[in-house]
Amino acid sequence: MRNKLLFIVLSPFLSLTLVAQEVSFEEYDLSNGLHVILHQDKTAPVVTTSVMYHVGGKDRTEGRTGFAHLFEHLLFEGSKNIERGKWFEIVSSNGGQNNANTTQDRTYYYEVFPSNNLELGLWLESERMLHPVIDQKGVDTQQEVVKEEKRLSYDNRPYGQLIPVVGQHLFERHPYKDPNIGYMEDLDAATLDDVIAYNKKYYGPNNAVLVVAGDIEIDGTKKLIQDYFGPIPKGPTVVRNFPKENPITQEKHVKAYDSNIQIPASILAYRTPGFKERDAYVLDMISTYLSDGNSSKLYKKMVDDLKQAVQVGAFNIDQEDYGMYLVYALPVGNTPLDTLVVEMEEEIAKIRDSLISEKDHQKLRNKFENRFVNANSSIEGIANSLARYYLLYGDTGLINKEIEIYNAITREEIKEVANTYLKPNQRVVIEYLPEEVDPN
Amino acid sequence: MKKIYFTFLLTVLTVHTYAQVDRSKMPAPGPAPEINLQDPKTFEMKNGLQVLVVENHKLPRVSIQLLIDNPPILEGDKAGVSMLTASLLGQGSKNIPKDEFNEEVDFLGARINFGSQSAFASGLSKYFSRILELLAEAAIHPNFVQEEFEKEKQKLLTGLKAQEKDVSAIAQRVSLALAYTKNHPYGEFTTQETVNNIQLTDVAKFYENYFVPANAYLVIIGDVNYDEVEKLVEKFFTPWTKAAPPSFTFSRPSEVQYTQINFVDMPNAVQSEITVENLVDLKKNDSDYLSAIIANEILGGGGEGRLFLNLREDKAYTYGSYSRVGNDKYAPARFRASASVRNAVTDSAVVEILKEMKKIREEPITARELENTKAKYTGSFVMALEDPATIARYALDIQTENLPEDFYKTYLERLNAITIEEVQSAARKYITPAKARIVVTGKGNEVLENLGQVTFVGEKVPIKYYDTHAEPTSKPNYEAGISEDITSEEVLQHYINAIGGLENLKSVSAFALSAEAQMQGMQLQLEMKKAGKDQFMQEIKVAGNSMSKQVINHDTGYMILQGQRQDMGPEELKKMREESILFPEVSMLKADTAIEGIETINGKKAYKIKLSEDKNAFYDVETGLKVQETTTTEMGGQLMTSILNYADYQEVSGILFPFLITQTVGPQSFDFVVQEIKVNEGVTEADFE
Repeated sequence: MRNKLLFIVLSPFLSLTLVAQEVSFEEYDLSNGLHVILHQDKTAPVVTTSVMYHVGGKDRTEGRTGFAHLFEHLLFEGSKNIERGKWFEIVSSNGGQNNANTTQDRTYYYEVFPSNNLELGLWLESERMLHPVIDQKGVDTQQEVVKEEKRLSYDNRPYGQLIPVVGQHLFERHPYKDPNIGYMEDLDAATLDDVIAYNKKYYGPNNAVLVVAGDIEIDGTKKLIQDYFGPIPKGPTVVRNFPKENPITQEKHVKAYDSNIQIPASILAYRTPGFKERDAYVLDMISTYLSDGNSSKLYKKMVDDLKQAVQVGAFNIDQEDYGMYLVYALPVGNTPLDTLVVEMEEEIAKIRDSLISEKDHQKLRNKFENRFVNANSSIEGIANSLARYYLLYGDTGLINKEIEIYNAITREEIKEVANTYLKPNQRVVIEYLPEEVDPN
Repeated sequence: MKKIYFTFLLTVLTVHTYAQVDRSKMPAPGPAPEINLQDPKTFEMKNGLQVLVVENHKLPRVSIQLLIDNPPILEGDKAGVSMLTASLLGQGSKNIPKDEFNEEVDFLGARINFGSQSAFASGLSKYFSRILELLAEAAIHPNFVQEEFEKEKQKLLTGLKAQEKDVSAIAQRVSLALAYTKNHPYGEFTTQETVNNIQLTDVAKFYENYFVPANAYLVIIGDVNYDEVEKLVEKFFTPWTKAAPPSFTFSRPSEVQYTQINFVDMPNAVQSEITVENLVDLKKNDSDYLSAIIANEILGGGGEGRLFLNLREDKAYTYGSYSRVGNDKYAPARFRASASVRNAVTDSAVVEILKEMKKIREEPITARELENTKAKYTGSFVMALEDPATIARYALDIQTENLPEDFYKTYLERLNAITIEEVQSAARKYITPAKARIVVTGKGNEVLENLGQVTFVGEKVPIKYYDTHAEPTSKPNYEAGISEDITSEEVLQHYINAIGGLENLKSVSAFALSAEAQMQGMQLQLEMKKAGKDQFMQEIKVAGNSMSKQVINHDTGYMILQGQRQDMGPEELKKMREESILFPEVSMLKADTAIEGIETINGKKAYKIKLSEDKNAFYDVETGLKVQETTTTEMGGQLMTSILNYADYQEVSGILFPFLITQTVGPQSFDFVVQEIKVNEGVTEADFE
């Protein structure tokens, strides 16, 4: 596939808005269980048609890691009425753009067209849902394409193993322990039968949400949706029963190696609650406090003042069942990794031990507000948010209400959450080191 | 029984699937959408400032654009004063110190930028009032100070210096200067000399003359209330004193009377920059404006254009070839078709561009071309509309270009109504290969011979010569100066004698060199070790961290680029091994090489000798010392030339080494100052592992 990305959501702030600035929407179910969300915005004659399926990297059997993403590639192969290889040409010769991406939790497909091609967008997505055509040749081809993608985006990229390593050490039982892109041998092992079974199991309309956003007429659009998606038969109910993890109560030290780097990294990783939990929002604020902007605590201290690190960062990897919280630093010259750990911990300890200043608290709120507003500036972004809030958070209305959650977070809460999740005995300390490669 | 059941199922399925739509057919697009652009509300201030307000409450943000639509300004012997004015605006105001200003802008999460006759700001709408006030402050009460002026002037001069050998920058300024003449605002350009003529008072004067409200538009888009905007604008912009800019008229530049090549010689060029241009009288409110746009789009609008398909996809002359047709209400605009091509195909590329220009005039485009172009153009036009900056531009366009109010609302409809005939008649009017100026900027001694053979409709295309400042000059003479009796062996021998003599050089088995350079305020360290016999190591470090390392050890070699290690293939290895030779000239002595010519390197004559397939060296005619090496490599389909200049020769162990090595790649140039050279020491086997 062209421009296909395996999507790692590094930040939850994709698309939000302020209370006073409602994104209006209408939602309903078709009789086959497909949930539909319509958002009308006539500012520009652009329409986004998108489908998010509640299936992601974590939905796989042992030995088939990376399957959700491989499957996403296969759904561009063609359909009963779309010849193999014609998908992209149809989109571009009609003035549109399209793409898809897969996370551990969901798979998202979308097209953006001038609004006079609304029907074309619906046809494409309904063809994909009703009767995709996947044959052995497609499977063989896409296995290779995905393996190239893995080489490009992970294996051959400096620090490309960082997230997989963190997952591996924060989880023991839950499928989050394995990388979303999958392992080479698992990608090789996938068969056409697996593909057909996966389609049946996860790609029914009742496990998906269709969003049509932009310059649309509501009634006409509803009729078209019924025409194209109504006849699609319902799929089985998806049941998930992933094993629960035991809490981490003892600090773990691990080393990991990357042949693509020369500067090592020191990482503190913590397991945090799933993104629906309020505490996950608080942790987002903490990462912003620590490392967003030149005046943030870690940056100011370690990069600006002490010049110990070339780069520092803190971020939350949002996931449905559990999150991963990372604080990391790359040393300047010969600064020992231990020193970095001490300096990072010092700042985290301050959050645990005392309240952040009122001024910093206000600054955080300003930053979040800015981010929300600008993230919500395109129809494409709004469509994605609506799908996500419905399918993963179970509340489409969050698109308008989520900012209230951030605004309500108090300084006391920040301190409390840091004490709940960010104590030294809950962390995994990773020394991420350059790997010496035997020249032969 | 079974059979009946099956048939029944099939019927149900069929009815179900095809009752409403025939999904076996791809849906056709609906009628071109009307663009739902709001009409801006407008008012005019007493000082002449026109205000356009587009309320858009979708998001709580606002953008503010100030644009002063002055006629073109001739800056003359102070060209560059507008650029310096732009740099000095927005650095605080008379009432707010620079640091305080910047900090407040950041705290609000806002952005404020200035041009010489424009400004732009954006931010959250709840801070609108303050952002607008800050913008007005900086615009109306700028604080021009000497210290900042000197800083910006230095920056501008450095930029100009970097441009002097930039073939595409020179090509651009010469093609404009020739099309319009240097006495026209569109043809003049900034030089070191004109910048040095500028004083802080000139900046202040430029600001006073031209940063005035007479032709100014303030476009405010976003989550604002018109009444409030009106109140605030009146409050903050009333102090802006009413004034109109001085006005000048310029004589109309004239078209060339016959097709000609205007050649600019740049000896460092590895690619020729080709611009085929003609002047067009096209304004946005002309009735055939859209037809002209379509004609150009088909000829060279992008990756589906004919120029691209012919010159790149079919002939592989270039990475890309495109065309543009401009529009302008004050002066003629230009049609231009361009390509950057490798030297060897310069003449062929010119021929093909002219051929495509002729073809789009003479033969009707196909229905499919028209249809696909409309679809593509429609798509990108429509998508662009989502961006508030586009909406602002359109609202402003309607005012400044004197367009009908519904110009953009009916844009797509009109685009889709365009016929094949209309496109052809626009092509005939605006694309004139029979009266075209073909500006070729390139390396004369490699391209001129063939360029002289170019014909168009059976006639030879004459060549006129210009220098890099667009002044007429004579045809460069590349033969001049080579003495008949000097051989390459003598040149090489002269060099070897100059740096220490053959015996001395032969006694060297290895040397190590360390040097330093500055790059954007960072220290670059270079370590290089050579031990003859196919052993070579070079490492570049930034702030102590390795950026790149290349190692050759006999039959193996690898490089590490930003942490990524890659083993060298046989081809690379072969090339790199040549680098390990201590003094290549020694082994060249007996080789049968010819002197390629004499060129002027940094103002002094030097013999040019080919050291290998892609490497040339230049030896000073007088001193015999090597002054330059050029290496050409291919990267991503483009030829890149790396130039090494050698200077400041100093003696180490009886041999002269250059202690200043200047490397130039593209527009970038680094001075490596040698810290230490060790001969026959400081190199061990371990260095090449």
